[in-house]
Amino acid sequence: MAKSNSWRQFKAILRKDLVMELRTKEMITSMGLYALLTMVVYQIALAEAGDSFDVRLVMPGLIWVAFIFMSMLGLNRSFVHEKDQGCIDALLLSPVDRPVIFFAKFAGNLLFLMVVELLSLPVFSFLFLQGREGFGNPVWLVGVVLLGASIGISGVGTLLATMTVNTKGKDVMLAVLFVPIMYPLLRAAVGATFAAVIGGPGTVQAFWLYMAWVAGFDVIMVAIAYALYEFVIGV
Amino acid sequence: MEETPRNDLAVQVRGLTRAFGVRKALNDVSFELPTGAFLSIFGPNGAGKTTLVKVLTTLLNPSKGSASVLGCDVVSEAVELRHRIGLISHNPLLYPDLTAEENLLFFAEMYGLDDPKTRVRELLGDVELDHRRLDVVSTFSRGMLQRLSIARALLHKPDVLFLDEPYSGLDPHAVDILDGLIAQIRGDHTFVMISHDLDKGLELCSHALILANGKVVLFENRDDIDVEQFRKTYRATVGTGVA
Amino acid sequence: MKRNPLAEIMLGLGGVLTTAAFFMAFFWAPGTSYPDGRVDFAQKIFYFHVPVAEASFLVFIFTAYYGIRFLMTRERIYDTKARIATEVTLFFVLLTMATGILWTRVEWGVWWQWEPRLTTYFILTLLVIAYFVLRNSVEDEEKRAVYASAFGILAFVDAPISFFITRWLNSIHPIVFGGGESSGLETSMLITFIVAQVGMLMLGYAFYQLRLREEELRERLEALKIEIGD
Repeated sequence: MAKSNSWRQFKAILRKDLVMELRTKEMITSMGLYALLTMVVYQIALAEAGDSFDVRLVMPGLIWVAFIFMSMLGLNRSFVHEKDQGCIDALLLSPVDRPVIFFAKFAGNLLFLMVVELLSLPVFSFLFLQGREGFGNPVWLVGVVLLGASIGISGVGTLLATMTVNTKGKDVMLAVLFVPIMYPLLRAAVGATFAAVIGGPGTVQAFWLYMAWVAGFDVIMVAIAYALYEFVIGV
Repeated sequence: MEETPRNDLAVQVRGLTRAFGVRKALNDVSFELPTGAFLSIFGPNGAGKTTLVKVLTTLLNPSKGSASVLGCDVVSEAVELRHRIGLISHNPLLYPDLTAEENLLFFAEMYGLDDPKTRVRELLGDVELDHRRLDVVSTFSRGMLQRLSIARALLHKPDVLFLDEPYSGLDPHAVDILDGLIAQIRGDHTFVMISHDLDKGLELCSHALILANGKVVLFENRDDIDVEQFRKTYRATVGTGVA
Repeated sequence: MKRNPLAEIMLGLGGVLTTAAFFMAFFWAPGTSYPDGRVDFAQKIFYFHVPVAEASFLVFIFTAYYGIRFLMTRERIYDTKARIATEVTLFFVLLTMATGILWTRVEWGVWWQWEPRLTTYFILTLLVIAYFVLRNSVEDEEKRAVYASAFGILAFVDAPISFFITRWLNSIHPIVFGGGESSGLETSMLITFIVAQVGMLMLGYAFYQLRLREEELRERLEALKIEIGD
């Protein structure tokens, strides 16, 4: 009974976040807009590189820079909702195990992040990769990186955003904590994306090696975020 | 602490201390409140009123001493206890982007109610918000929010209701509605209210508690209170800048 | 509050040992030389740089350890200990960065190189700074302590991952210990290194203890003030 209750609560929190997002479209629009804006900036950054420059060389880095900053917008939003009217108190007052809140928020953030990533990636390709060589390896490999890295981003981000929503200057604070912690994950994600995009002998193997790092980070860091969550949300 | 909590007591607090380092938000607080009582807690800002309510509602753990509500220890039996208490705050504790009905349904799920839909409809009728049930809460007036937040607090039929300055920021009409609602449910609930408004607090209460600096200055049955004397004590704690 | 004689002894001894190691490095331990025969003078920084780097990571362990103790007990003293351990970590990390950059300039001809250890230390510096920025941006004392503990633990786990991934990505930093046949040290070099390392750890311990005593006195003063205020 207790178990099915937790499952019910998990679904309720996730559904609530989905309904709110579908109604206001706050996160998706701000994240999507941010992605478009970074593409404009990238156009400027690459303006002098010339036509012969293979954008695919820097593309993995560019998209992950966009995604990491984009993810922070969403993470922040998702806790501002809880904090604004003191809803988090009402939530904590209900008989819900704290990990349920963690996993529901984690799942919601992961979902929103993946949606915006999957929408902005084709736009990126459309704007920067047309008329150039295609992806060296099957495109679904990129999807694997997106999922793998987004799990780590959302999991650890859920913990950090829960803290930073209670700090002065929460947006900046999240970036200060988040970016250095995310370093190994981003490095591996860029490596994997690169292997997937460039293609050629040995890249598939390199891809999976990088993905092993991504998976390792996810397992270790999300487990720790989960273990710490109860302490962080309780004060 | 060794004694088992008594079931006829709504709230039992013994030597409750809540400290961080040298700062004590609550310092050796003890009192007992019978079931069905209405306790008003007074005190200056920073006296520990909110901390006390947070401990009693399982949101904070005691550093020392013990507290139990309805015979449930606030630490070891927190989850059972949460099924039996409700909170009405000056904050509505509702999601502005959800409709009235969605808000209540959400919390009904959190409490694992058997038939959420019926219960929610019933409550929306009780607080006279049936006609607005499909409207997003951000369009509600302060008074409507407060009514909805009462419905939220009553969803799971709690036995003890905690009120955290429920009257602050309400217009006179909303005050009347809140008065009416409290009168309606007064009979079968125990109340613990934080109040800045001495008159209102005394009018409603059966017991009064003054906190200052985390300590109990006074805890008395309403019938034993000499209002003039009480006012003086209250002013002394607020006025001398004890806080 | 008693004085802490051990900390004072450690401070003195640590000072003597690190100074001794400095002289041993220049006058006793043999210099290495470049393939063309010139003496590799910059190598001497090894006796300072590596002990400092190792000390920084050792002290950082205490940030995580006391962070866990704090979350378990909610005793403020553990948060204070974690914070001071992080202060000492920051001190050593900055020294590591400074000496590392000097060495890189001489050996590799550039001030900065994105190679594993430098990258890791760069990240570690950011993490340690973030720890203090986080502390400063939380008003409530208990919240501050809980958040800082949680972040300290997370950062402590994150740093080695950063290190191993960058190292895995092909290291060009000299690996002195356990890095194959050509690495390894002569006895006199090893002794000098150990003296420097032990001295540095003693200094770290002394800094930690003395800062802790200062903080404890400050907290006692605060307690007295509150008592008088009653």
